[in-house]
Amino acid sequence: MKKFLEILVLESKRLVRTGTAGMLASAAVAWMFAMPYLVRSDGTASGATEMYMKYSLGGVFALVTVALAASAAGSISAERDEKRLQLTLARPVRFFVVALGRMAAISLCGAAVLALATAILVAKIDSRPCSRVYSPKMESPREEALRLYDSVMQDPGIDAEIKKAPKDAILRVLEQKAWDNYQTIPKGRDAAWKMGDVDAKGRLMSVRLRFTNNFDTREKVVGVFRYGGFSGSISNVTQAVVAVPLDSQEVLPEGDPSVLTFSNRGENTLMLRPRRDIKLLVEADSFAMNAVRAWIVLSSMLALVVAFAVFLGSALGKAVAIFTVMSFLAVTEMGPSVVEQYPDALETDTRDRISLMVTRAVGKVTRPVGSFTPLESLAANDMVEFGEVARAVGEDMVVLPLLLAFLSGLALSFKKV
Amino acid sequence: MEQSEGVIALKGVSKVFRDFWLRPTVKAVEGLDLSVAKGEVFALLGPNGSGKSTTIKMILGLMAPSGGEVRLFGRKPDSAVARSRLGYLPELSYLHPYLTARETLMYYAGLCNLDRRTAKERTAQLLAMVGLESVAGRPVGGFSKGMARRIALACSLIGKPELLILDEPTSGLDPVSTSEVKSLVKTLSAGGMTILMTSHLLGDAQDVCDRYAILNFGRKVAEGDLKTLGTSLQDVFLSKVGVGRGFDVAGFLK
Repeated sequence: MKKFLEILVLESKRLVRTGTAGMLASAAVAWMFAMPYLVRSDGTASGATEMYMKYSLGGVFALVTVALAASAAGSISAERDEKRLQLTLARPVRFFVVALGRMAAISLCGAAVLALATAILVAKIDSRPCSRVYSPKMESPREEALRLYDSVMQDPGIDAEIKKAPKDAILRVLEQKAWDNYQTIPKGRDAAWKMGDVDAKGRLMSVRLRFTNNFDTREKVVGVFRYGGFSGSISNVTQAVVAVPLDSQEVLPEGDPSVLTFSNRGENTLMLRPRRDIKLLVEADSFAMNAVRAWIVLSSMLALVVAFAVFLGSALGKAVAIFTVMSFLAVTEMGPSVVEQYPDALETDTRDRISLMVTRAVGKVTRPVGSFTPLESLAANDMVEFGEVARAVGEDMVVLPLLLAFLSGLALSFKKV
Repeated sequence: MEQSEGVIALKGVSKVFRDFWLRPTVKAVEGLDLSVAKGEVFALLGPNGSGKSTTIKMILGLMAPSGGEVRLFGRKPDSAVARSRLGYLPELSYLHPYLTARETLMYYAGLCNLDRRTAKERTAQLLAMVGLESVAGRPVGGFSKGMARRIALACSLIGKPELLILDEPTSGLDPVSTSEVKSLVKTLSAGGMTILMTSHLLGDAQDVCDRYAILNFGRKVAEGDLKTLGTSLQDVFLSKVGVGRGFDVAGFLK
């Protein structure tokens, strides 16, 4: 522990005295204050707030991630290239502790800069409580894809060429379709969705939804939501995302507390994708608390990037390590959209299959880093769930960095100093 | 074990450097046998590229030998226990430029597991010993080569090692400092410390060392004390390593 702290302090001094920490902090503060003047919103106050939350902290996170990944990749490799590392390694210190101390110091520096940005965000945004988000309890898209697979393969209407595609590719297509399956609600009819266990005692609730119609045009939608003893009326146009508050003013018989219903009282048939378009929102805690949770998740994601970069720096020379970590970050950012937009959905071409396999493999490894979920949640005022925070801390901040530190130690013992 | 094997024991040690495709490129050390006993001051001599630094790195556990066996205090050299008993001064000082002299010593004291109080005491003593108390708060990045060398020497002593490995200890030092280092080596040796050093300056080695080994092209070409090697270390060195490469400088300049 003592040696770990010595190395952590040494690396922290490097970051402070070489100006890295100061420059990052200054850039973060400048971005947080300059962002509203640089990015155009949709013209509404809520849109401006949402964009500010998403892109201000997102911009700082991107900046900190790129800068500290480069710094981490060069931390050990530069010292080895300059032969300074041998003085540390010739002491009675385990090699993985050398890597772990550096990972911790750089991650702490990043977490401090992110904390500064988060504090500015909280100070600039009017406090509003965040909401816990509940989706309808349904079969998962994967389960639906597996259930439909056999009937698809036996369907004579489906082209034989498509049936020759790998099972995984067909399942992926079915899974994608499952997300976008539409449910139709004819006029004068009700729809119901099971919501599972919702903890809403004494808290404000609302429904967030987006309807459309057969012709994908703007039309009036009128109806009533009911959940337990609460109800809320909607009178709006389709295609807009609206939040309908639920209250108990209208006297209703106690309904099934776990089912959300909608009565279509308008003149049009309505459509929505239950997996994407309807959420039950229950007021949770303050925006500041949500920002703290988002900060923990972002710091954990950063810790994983830093650990990976330190590992690369332990195994490779400085230039190669920095290039590799930057390439990984680029693939992480671009990979998901490449996979999503690729035209050969069924992967019938061998080269496509191999390329997509590699992209997906990298995506799997770097998934936590590529996901900006906490920022999107924060911007939408959705609660960053405790489960997500626990997973991020456990996996991204503790388990994976420890594993990477161990691998770094091995790399250091093999790589000549 | 330690008594019978000596503080440092190398048996048939070789080191072959390989390229990316694992093809052998350089044989840096070949079949090296070496033993340094407790309390001895031993010099590893040889021209540039003779394998001295590679041998030292294998002794320090920073590099694994391709063949043979290296033992340090009867243990594998990458053992933390063995490394806790040694101090090392590399050929160049390799200090962290953003740390002050005092912080540099405190950092290495921490790595040697010294408690805070002892580390502070020893840091003060060593700064006084190398004459750098007045600049203890200055970053070492701004130090002259000689000052950096003295701080590096202090770092090698911070853990009160039983074995001190000095790679070209007088390199970059002025004559007064060189004399001080030699006198320090003698004092440490008199106190029972084992010292392994390399040097290009045969006179310096002859002044302080008990025994010598001469390396050339990775092989040991001579070993012993002055009695067994002859009265002049320089004569032995030149006879074993060669006086030059046969290049006609006068002819080149004409």
